[in-house]
Amino acid sequence: MKSRTSLPAVFLAPPLAILAVLAFVPTAYAIYISFRDRELSRPDGSFVGLQNYLDLFSDRRFINAVGVSLTWEVLTVTLTLLVAIALGILLFEFASSRMRGVMTLLFLVPVILPRVSAAFVWKFAFHPLYGIVTYPYKAITGQPLDLLSSPATALMTVALVDVWQWGLFFAVIVLKLLETLPPQPFEAARLDHARPWEVYAYVALPMLKAPLISLAFIKMIESLRAFDLIYVMTRGGPGIATETLDMYAFSQGFIESGRISYASGMAVLMMLATTVIFTVIWKRVKP
Amino acid sequence: MAHIVCSHVDKAYGAVNVIKDFNLEIDDHEFVVFLGPSGCGKSTLLRMIAGLEDISGGEVSIAGRTVNDLEPRDRGVAMVFQNYALYPHMTIYDNIAFGLKRMKVDKAEIDSRIKTVAATLGLEPYLSRKPTELSGGQQQRVAIARAMIKTPRVFLFDEPLSNLDAKLRNHMRVEIARLHQNLKTTTIYVTHDQLEAMTLADRIVLMKGGAIEQVGTPAEIYERPRTLFVAGFIGTPNMNILDVTARSDGQDWLLEGDGLRFRVDRNRFALKEGHAYTLGVRPSSLSAAPLQDNRENTLAGITDLVEFHGDSALVSFLVGGKEIGALVPASSRPKTGAPVAFSTSVESLHLFDRSTGLSMLRMESQA
Repeated sequence: MKSRTSLPAVFLAPPLAILAVLAFVPTAYAIYISFRDRELSRPDGSFVGLQNYLDLFSDRRFINAVGVSLTWEVLTVTLTLLVAIALGILLFEFASSRMRGVMTLLFLVPVILPRVSAAFVWKFAFHPLYGIVTYPYKAITGQPLDLLSSPATALMTVALVDVWQWGLFFAVIVLKLLETLPPQPFEAARLDHARPWEVYAYVALPMLKAPLISLAFIKMIESLRAFDLIYVMTRGGPGIATETLDMYAFSQGFIESGRISYASGMAVLMMLATTVIFTVIWKRVKP
Repeated sequence: MAHIVCSHVDKAYGAVNVIKDFNLEIDDHEFVVFLGPSGCGKSTLLRMIAGLEDISGGEVSIAGRTVNDLEPRDRGVAMVFQNYALYPHMTIYDNIAFGLKRMKVDKAEIDSRIKTVAATLGLEPYLSRKPTELSGGQQQRVAIARAMIKTPRVFLFDEPLSNLDAKLRNHMRVEIARLHQNLKTTTIYVTHDQLEAMTLADRIVLMKGGAIEQVGTPAEIYERPRTLFVAGFIGTPNMNILDVTARSDGQDWLLEGDGLRFRVDRNRFALKEGHAYTLGVRPSSLSAAPLQDNRENTLAGITDLVEFHGDSALVSFLVGGKEIGALVPASSRPKTGAPVAFSTSVESLHLFDRSTGLSMLRMESQA
């Protein structure tokens, strides 16, 4: 429909202008400098074509970071959804409405906590000497347990904190989704010889397929932004065991060598990959 | 096959008792209808028998086995819900097959049983569709198919036709009646629609406020309502209700009210001299009488309103300030404003105690 006034344009122009400055300009500039060899220590740089991108593929630290990022995505998204569905169903099945209210409040606390705070709290909880989580192990075996310093357990430990924040929050959403479902199909299923787990597996969860897929997508996007959590808890360590792509790009660009063009190349690749992968998955699962 | 016994069944939500001391035996193959206004506890009772609600007190047994603590799936019952309660994400085939799959019936048998049931209910063209692609009547047929295929001992229907339009409702009612004729499965059917109850039931259980008001065949309930509530609930148009006082003239009872006088046999009603009663007479048992003042067993007045029903017409007029309706053949309906008089046979009069609402009909004459 053709608008008779210019009012929509008047209202839309300022936010779009701000968006352009804040999002499109840096993005475009990142793409631009990813084709140059600019470094933070030097004011100039020259056009190098795809050299930065070609270098990335022979950079073993970059390949490692891709692996860590993928593992992080799969781990946190899967665990978050599993925890959310399990807790949501438990609450729905066993908790009285009063109990549900209390648990909902408690489950919302972790996600309200700023992630940096959560990271510090848990980093201390996992401390090999003073941590409350590792205390029982130390008390029983006499050995300190340093989960965050072992390459085998570090990523998983950080992932647990992420799941603690988001799994509990999503459990509240799953509970609320279950509460919106009409009860009759469940009752029909109970009369249809379905055991309680079968009622959920075959009736309740399939009825919630669309919102659960949306939740998975939200978590996938959210997991991409876990920089602060990982940065505080491990700084990508031990070694490069928890170094995700954004962490590696950050350290290449600002911490270690100031190779801002190289880091931009990484960022551009990440943007392309996520856009492509998300589009493909979105088209696939759309009913 | 199964007979059902409810003995001293109670249901309480907190301090509120919604079912009080409910006792009923339902014979094998019987079609029993729980009828009553909304909130009378009929659906709750059905859900207790199904196992969807806890039984607060008393005992329910199906086929000689107490089922109070059994899971719904172990009671051998199948239920059809008012809003169909189909599984929205499954095809019609999977909806019907769901119960059998859970019972680990093998695939070939499920397939052949679904074919049979689908043929009975005319569902073959829709088996691969989703519930939302079907009309209300078709969805309810799927729900019935889903209940039927398990060959349950007891069918439970919870207002299955309430969501359908009037024409479809009549059609499905006939289908349910035919189904019961063929399968002969013990059935409990909950409804607030007296027409459904009258046409389908072997016996009607009329409920009010969580207790049984009357149990009987449709004819018994219609012809000999035990209370004023039953009399008012059953029959369309509604029974005419008039206040009268009883007086004996030595030979008969004279029932006198504002602008009317009825003479009834002493053997028919057990009345007390000077006591207040409520007189009930159905619009269909009133027939046109000659206009004449002060005749006994006659109601006369000025036509107030004429409702045309097709074959018949409902004539409304006032007697002593109370509106009376009489059904007359449409061809002989009076015009508005015309004086009318209607008489009735003494046999079609109902008398209820004004305070208790109980019928005053003598026991011996009830047989």
